[in-house]
Amino acid sequence: MMPWWETLALLFGILTVLLLVGLPAGFAFLGINLVGALIYLGGEAGLMQVVRNGVASITNFSLTPIPFFVLMGEVLFHTGVAMKAIDAFDNLIWRMPGRLAVIAVVAGTVFSAISGSTVATTALLGSLLLPEMLKRGYQRRMAMGPIMAIGGVDMLIPPSALTVLLGSLAGISISGLLVAGVVPGILLATIFVGYIVIRCVLDPTLAPSFEHNRVTGWARWRPLIVYVAPLLFIFVVVVVSMTAGWATPTESAAVGAAATVLVAFAYRALTFRALARALLGTAAISGIILFIIIGATTFSQILSFSGATNGLVSLIQGASLSQWVVLLGMMGILLVLGCFVDQVSMMLITLPFFMPLVAHYGWDPLWFGVMFLICMQLGLLTPPFGMLLFTMRGVAPKSIATQDIFRAVMPYVLFGMLMLLMVMLFPPLATWLPKLLLGK
Amino acid sequence: MKAWARLMQVCGGLSAAIIGIVVVLVCWDVAARNLGGMSLPWIVEVTEYSLPLATFLAAPWLMFRYEHVRLDLLATTLSPRTLAHVERVAAAVCLLVSAVIVWYAIAVIVDTRSIGAQVIKSLVFPEWWLFVPVPICFTLLGLECARRLFFPPPPTLPMTADTAAVPGDAAGSAR
Repeated sequence: MMPWWETLALLFGILTVLLLVGLPAGFAFLGINLVGALIYLGGEAGLMQVVRNGVASITNFSLTPIPFFVLMGEVLFHTGVAMKAIDAFDNLIWRMPGRLAVIAVVAGTVFSAISGSTVATTALLGSLLLPEMLKRGYQRRMAMGPIMAIGGVDMLIPPSALTVLLGSLAGISISGLLVAGVVPGILLATIFVGYIVIRCVLDPTLAPSFEHNRVTGWARWRPLIVYVAPLLFIFVVVVVSMTAGWATPTESAAVGAAATVLVAFAYRALTFRALARALLGTAAISGIILFIIIGATTFSQILSFSGATNGLVSLIQGASLSQWVVLLGMMGILLVLGCFVDQVSMMLITLPFFMPLVAHYGWDPLWFGVMFLICMQLGLLTPPFGMLLFTMRGVAPKSIATQDIFRAVMPYVLFGMLMLLMVMLFPPLATWLPKLLLGK
Repeated sequence: MKAWARLMQVCGGLSAAIIGIVVVLVCWDVAARNLGGMSLPWIVEVTEYSLPLATFLAAPWLMFRYEHVRLDLLATTLSPRTLAHVERVAAAVCLLVSAVIVWYAIAVIVDTRSIGAQVIKSLVFPEWWLFVPVPICFTLLGLECARRLFFPPPPTLPMTADTAAVPGDAAGSAR
């Protein structure tokens, strides 16, 4: 039997090579599983176990909210309901500096509360607001940065498909984790708004003001009541049905998806074509996430059976490091991984090692889970592999260089790191709300 | 090729339909339980089983559309010609992985069937049914990989940042 560190080097070495040659992440994990099963899980019997585990990994009721949460965002995106909400915000803050960029953040935060799909939120705001901002002479970075940044906040504000996945894979309460992200998410969005306004006041050329139909009184507030309040109602339905115990997180996600379809229907925006496109988009995003999960159970079994998990965890535990050093090391690993691999792979690679350490040091899993989420959110925004950078690339005009997209998001990455530090130093930012609502 | 594209679209469409049907079933169950209607105990189970089914149906469709998540570090640095070679290596590895999984999935089905294993929860059915989508999915994935290996597409499209697709927009272009 190889020593654990050789096993670890072998497994991660092959995984890195497979990822580098451009294998889809799901195939890379399956490939490493086949090799690992041959060596560590008893040859042929192990290979059959890969198949059994693959089915078992995704036959899991706790993962079923993923397609439902994604469907909520896709319905909003394809029916055009979101556009009306953006107009409502536009009426409300027409005097604010950097108005369209602020709207991207505010509307994005509201959509985050209805959409479980980070990519859908970014694609939606990018395709709706970016052309308008560029047309109005906004500096490119000021136009693109907030849209990508708020897509990242989406992961912290429930419902969120990746939060469900993290809870399920790490054995952390899913409802607790969904609620725990609310305060840091809203705080981060507030910091973004402050940054945009201050920058636009200091340098008005970043976001030139332009004429707007001045609306006052009821005409100013009416669109907010008509087009935004029902969307928040969907959020309330999801969170209340979950926290009040009327429905499991899975069921409340399905109810939320149905409520989103009903709201679109009430606005007369629901067509068969829009619904079909939303369902196809949902199948695509959920399929992308779940296909990687097929290799999850076997991968963690191989790490465990080969002694790699135990070896590395024991080494860290025995090194008499301060728990802060260990925590910073873990976050550092996540931040580096986030630059190169997708969020689901990040979870599969790190959780088998991280969760035993969380238990060893007696850390609150919700606190750790929120920091993990922030790191994953930053991974969505950091080049070269940030998914939201690609999403923005997909919706931005071809004349905008990819380098510009990378630069646009940098200030928001720094704010994300600041939030990570704040949650690290003030755990109640993450744990207060779940304690209040769920007693966890 | 047209028939292949059509088959892939059907896979995507079926996956989407399954998700839609499950949303309706779960909502029915929640309403029935909280409002005192006829609750159906098998819905939770059907929801569980629908997830792998939808995933195994969507996987070949996503592969066909180059939508599975992958690292693009090399894609942005290599010349199109070298990249095309790397792509073919990747397709060959995926083909090998698919073939091994198909082989052992069939072995699992035969094994589970021969011992007569049953799933006994709210629904009772032979366990091997659960594994049937696996060889089908990976056969389709393998065929797609073989297509890329032996009839590779033009080298510029799939991996560069400038051509990256928006995953959620698969729907739009899959029509």
